[in-house]
Amino acid sequence: MVTTEQAVKQPVTPEEYKSGLKPVWCPGCGDYGVLNALCQVYHRLGLKPEETMIFSGIGCSSRITGYLKSYGFNSVHGRALPIAMGAKLARPKLNVIAAGGDGDAFSIGIGHFPHACRRNIDMTYIVMDNHIYGLTKGQLSPTSPHDMLTTTSKFGSIETPINPILLAIGCQATFVARAFSGNIKHMVDVITKGIEHRGFSFIQVLSPCVTFIGKDQFLIIKNLLHYLEDDPDYDPSHRTSAFHVADEKDRISVGVIYQKKKPTYMDQLEILRQNAASKKKKKLADLVEIFRP
Amino acid sequence: MEKRVLITGNEAIGAGAIAAGCDCYFGYPITPQNELTAYMSRWMPAEGRTFIQAESEISAINMVYGAAATGARAMTSSSSPGISLKQEGISYLAGSELPAVIANVQRGGPGLGNIEPAQSDYFQAVKGGGHGDYHVIVLAPASVQEMYDLTMLAFDLADRWRNPALVLADGQLGQMMEPLIPHKMSRKRNLPPKDWALTGAKNREKRVVKSFYPAIGELEEYNKHLASKYRKIQRRETRAEEYFTEDAEVVLVAFGTVARLCREVVRKARQKGLPVGLLRPVTLWPFPTRRFEKLASRAKAFLVVEMNAGQMVEDVRLATSCRLPVSFYGRMGGGVPEIAEIYRRTRKLLMAVSIKAAS
Ligand SMILES: Cc1ncc(C[n+]2csc(CCOP(=O)(O)OP(=O)(O)O)c2C)c(N)n1
Ligand code: SF4
Ligand SMILES: [Mg+2]
Repeated sequence: MVTTEQAVKQPVTPEEYKSGLKPVWCPGCGDYGVLNALCQVYHRLGLKPEETMIFSGIGCSSRITGYLKSYGFNSVHGRALPIAMGAKLARPKLNVIAAGGDGDAFSIGIGHFPHACRRNIDMTYIVMDNHIYGLTKGQLSPTSPHDMLTTTSKFGSIETPINPILLAIGCQATFVARAFSGNIKHMVDVITKGIEHRGFSFIQVLSPCVTFIGKDQFLIIKNLLHYLEDDPDYDPSHRTSAFHVADEKDRISVGVIYQKKKPTYMDQLEILRQNAASKKKKKLADLVEIFRP
Repeated sequence: MEKRVLITGNEAIGAGAIAAGCDCYFGYPITPQNELTAYMSRWMPAEGRTFIQAESEISAINMVYGAAATGARAMTSSSSPGISLKQEGISYLAGSELPAVIANVQRGGPGLGNIEPAQSDYFQAVKGGGHGDYHVIVLAPASVQEMYDLTMLAFDLADRWRNPALVLADGQLGQMMEPLIPHKMSRKRNLPPKDWALTGAKNREKRVVKSFYPAIGELEEYNKHLASKYRKIQRRETRAEEYFTEDAEVVLVAFGTVARLCREVVRKARQKGLPVGLLRPVTLWPFPTRRFEKLASRAKAFLVVEMNAGQMVEDVRLATSCRLPVSFYGRMGGGVPEIAEIYRRTRKLLMAVSIKAAS
């Protein structure tokens, strides 16, 4: 179902970017932080609700589309990316954001992720990573740490978790960043940069599930944070350094991890269309020559 | 007295599968069948078997495809949206004549629908569901005990006929708790040897599992072979339960959750001396057509009750060749038919047929 929101008057405060629907998230859920940050980003960039469309899959995090005063599309589990890509390709002028959970992105939907990265369509994908399936009540997620006890890993997970940042850089994404829902101000900066980036931007937001993992997650993550902006030597255009940061075990780096300038899919499509059109003309003309009596 | 345990319908499917010797269970979470996946995560490893939460339903059904090809007893389960994703794999399983068990704990649709109980995947289940000319054996439990029993039976039917078998339940049956007698698997089941399984071709001719018949005419021959197998299944494996049908003028027809309600309606009607009965298909495919043919010569009308917009009712009309009136009452989107309303409609229908008979 597409929930359409009439283009109302341009919001003047971040708060006015909220749809007014009361979130059904548990008290303390990390996703509240992401919602608040997004409202501030929309406000900072002056995004028009009627020109902005946010797509999500299914999950607690995916409910975010309903809470924002832009076009919202709460879609199919795992399919936020292809649906968002379809919309962006059909209406390139829209600001397109996709959002969802770690299960949505890296379990059922993982097949779409590398292709979204390598195509470099100008859109932003925000994954609220809580390392668990929240909506279905606490099953193992592809980002759950090894040994984690969940309702479907009753004796501890024996699987190696996916590292979304490594994956994104490996798949040639042109903007890769990480944020923490416990630091809204920093998250606003990171998401703003992501939306401003021309091409596909991927942002992993560590957004704890207080119900199925616990409130202490906020503190555990906070104590491990390392802000890349504080490191004057860090160069996000350096791919090897980015891989290195993505692979850290002793701390959690947040900020822009990797960014590269590259023509977007639309830039290239425009050139391709012109080529195709000129070749087509030539072919038609040739045909006329052939059939001239 | 036999040992009884109090468990949910979802867990009963898991218990039945383990009792039936299921070697591998591949699942993916979805409400309202999560208790089944959780149960398998707890108990399969303890039995030395394999449980995996796959990365998606598509992955899970293909893991079943692989495991089944090696001759293992393999199973997956989901609820409606996830079952849609499995259809490609089910078509390949049927096309490769591999035994496998799939459980669908239905919820409302189409699309994301909701997580309430429904019977709206009837068409998908009994008409094939995926592409190509095939059938899946479909069993419809109506109690926690049957969730267990019919899951066990599904494994045997799948092996006997080298065909996927589907247990078609719904969210209500999955979530409710009832006492269960956990029978052991009977010894004399006489199943054919799995002389087609891929077990390594050491000291024997190689075996081929495939669903691809590209040479001209080859596929049609294969389709004919499948069709004749399906006819045999129809002759031998049809199951239905009849309740007070001998002298019934109005016969209620329902499966699963709704059959429980209709049974109550029949009980109430009989207390009042009204000639009402219930025919409950236990196999939805093969459909108990013969029973309908027989009843059609005695009864005066059928009332089909379902939790959908009217799906099985089409098969009832086909089975009775429209020889007598077939009425329908359905609730959708998580709505459950109320006993009082079924009763009211039954009485009305009974009155209508008696007036018609008198005039
Ligand atoms: C095809 C399909 N399979 C399964 C589901 C059930 N389901 C809904 S959300 C979800 C996972 C949620 O986890 P995540 O994406 O991490 O989001 P969270 O709730 O943690 O924010 C699942 C398995 C579904 N809706 N559709
Ligand atoms: S279950 Fe977890 S992820 Fe879902 S709303 Fe509650 S805290 Fe958030
Ligand atoms: Mg999650």
